[in-house]
Amino acid sequence: METRVYSVKEDWYARITIAVAFIALLLGGVFGVLQVISRTPYWPNLYEYLAGLGIGGGASELYYRGLTAHGVLLAIVLTTFYIVGVSAYLTPRVLGVNIKPQTLNVSLAMMVIGTALAAIAIIFGWANVLYTFYLPLVASPLFYIGAALLILGSWVFAAGVFISYLEWRRANPGVAIPVTFFGIMTTFIVWIMATIPLVFIVLKNHVPASLLGWEADALESRLFFWWFGHALVYFWLLPAITIWYYYVPKALGVPLFSETMAKIAFMLFILASTPVGLHHQLVDPGINPYFKYLQTVLTLIVASPSMLTAFNIIATMERAGRAGGGDGLFGWLFKQPWRDPVFTGLILALITFGSGGITGIINASYQLNNVVHNTAWVVGHFHTTVGTAVVLTFMAYTYLLIRDLYGRNVILRNVSLAVPILWFVGMMIFSISYYTAGLAGSPRRTSIVTYGGSIPPEWVLPMQIAAIGAIIFSLGGLIFLVQFFGSLASGARIPLTQPTLVIMNPHKPGPATILDNIRLIIVAAIILNIIAYSGALIEIYYLRGLSPVPPIHP
Amino acid sequence: MESREAVFEYIWILLIVAVIVGLSASMAYYGFARGLNPTCEAYTLEEARKAGISLEPGVREVGPGIYEVTIDARQFTFIPREVVLKDPNRVTFRVYSLDVIHGLSIVGTSVNIMVLPGYVAEFVWEPPKNAKGEFLVLCTEYCGIGHQLMYAKLVIERSSAQMAGGG
Ligand SMILES: [Cu+2]
Ligand SMILES: [Cu+2]
Repeated sequence: METRVYSVKEDWYARITIAVAFIALLLGGVFGVLQVISRTPYWPNLYEYLAGLGIGGGASELYYRGLTAHGVLLAIVLTTFYIVGVSAYLTPRVLGVNIKPQTLNVSLAMMVIGTALAAIAIIFGWANVLYTFYLPLVASPLFYIGAALLILGSWVFAAGVFISYLEWRRANPGVAIPVTFFGIMTTFIVWIMATIPLVFIVLKNHVPASLLGWEADALESRLFFWWFGHALVYFWLLPAITIWYYYVPKALGVPLFSETMAKIAFMLFILASTPVGLHHQLVDPGINPYFKYLQTVLTLIVASPSMLTAFNIIATMERAGRAGGGDGLFGWLFKQPWRDPVFTGLILALITFGSGGITGIINASYQLNNVVHNTAWVVGHFHTTVGTAVVLTFMAYTYLLIRDLYGRNVILRNVSLAVPILWFVGMMIFSISYYTAGLAGSPRRTSIVTYGGSIPPEWVLPMQIAAIGAIIFSLGGLIFLVQFFGSLASGARIPLTQPTLVIMNPHKPGPATILDNIRLIIVAAIILNIIAYSGALIEIYYLRGLSPVPPIHP
Repeated sequence: MESREAVFEYIWILLIVAVIVGLSASMAYYGFARGLNPTCEAYTLEEARKAGISLEPGVREVGPGIYEVTIDARQFTFIPREVVLKDPNRVTFRVYSLDVIHGLSIVGTSVNIMVLPGYVAEFVWEPPKNAKGEFLVLCTEYCGIGHQLMYAKLVIERSSAQMAGGG
């Protein structure tokens, strides 16, 4: 089957959103470097110097302002913009159907305006609430309005993706969904399911608290925030996994080891990504241990598709490596295209995800959570997941997009391989050191951890080594950003195969199976959410009753 | 070839299932059969008032080695800032906040909980017999721009008789 589609509009959209994503990486990264150096014991507090220049309300105020910017820019802006961009780029290519241009225009406008409003609030210090914005700390209404516009804009894009799917389904009845598009759909299904509780609680509690000074309940707000917050992790991760499934077989010239396994993984992600938020509240008072335990088990279940994915990708590599003459137990490992920075970046991201997955299971483990909750351990953990499995995948894949989407040669091509290696090595040093400091009780988020001289000595060395690791991976990021913006500005133009694009299915599309029945799995996921959360909701609303408190500006 | 690969696939899936079942069972056993729960009771401030529970910050020794410690966590300090316990066997903490969310962790112990405003968090800690000396108590949740100033001290004193007996 051969279809011709013109992806002019999608490519325009992707060029803008991906560029915004990397502007966010640049700014968020600067704050990251400032804070990791400043909070390291016995290292210079850079925010002290900035405060000395008369900026802001003191070194710690600037630190928390920067930390809010770091979290929002990297965890929300970078990820959301890149994800909509790469999904817009891939959808017409893997599905042979365009995305409705109106949804692209509207979503871009909403997301850009929303981001600008939230950015103003953060930069002027009107929103020092960190990216989790727990009530009763409140930010300026501008912050919530901006965030809401960003999220609603992404919903409009999601609607565009779903409409494309329905169009494709009408034209191709009874045909199996291509795996890459299955991944994109899964991403946005999880995103909608995740953001519904967030939008609900922000409208119910945060906006009235911020605008009108209304009282709100802290436990209720946290419950809904984390109902969103854990699924947010899968919103970041699913496009990265989709890119692994899409690009690794392509780079190796073999089919994916098992498309069935990939689809089962995506189904499990839809099923269990959302009803697991209580694992972020294991040490919260006021939630019955049985409800926490139930969600702990569900968390273990949602870890399983990640394990299936790792197997599937590595099995694909082994198959290709053996076909290429690599034999013995590990010979196939040497037959991989390691010189390709895209391939190497994706595989190093996958390996780091292994570390993030194991520490994630520890975080969510009922009893063990006590030891690591709100310590530097958690910081180490999410820098391996979102900070590497996701961001390194996005950066590495962008080397292809510079050529195929922006139509430019990558400048400084010879150093490209240094980017994934520096990022991986630096992140290993950073995360393992923060795991170590966290196990000794060193807190996350706190600007200065010396506590008037009573800092436990076992925190000092790991935190200093972590900062060195952070500088190493930041260097990788800097090289990447120079290449990205430099290529866009001055890379040699290469003629694009656009706007005519030929889509050929690599093999004959199979018939749709039970695995292509997305409606069924969504219904199952909703039921699972109701089961997982109804106990805690009944306890909070009816058995105990709320205990609202007035909002406070930080 | 195909079937050999499929065997590995099934082995992997079995391993995943075994990990899930094994970890779930172990957590249930320790949580519900051995009472090791990562959690604590909570009641609202209003419930505390109605039940006549005193929220006066301070330390009370209600029996030999049995303590009740009430802590008011607020921007940006703990009240009291120093808690001294002599030969503690069993300590019931009641921690509450009237302003924003805080956390309370005693570094070097398993005590690590969230403190939500409007609620009293109550939990029991049985200090290890060899716990002795000064412990750093710190706020583990961002509570405003003075968060880094929020810490306190716990001192555990051991009489030589108990050290000998408990050693
Ligand atoms: Cu989580
Ligand atoms: Cu605090």
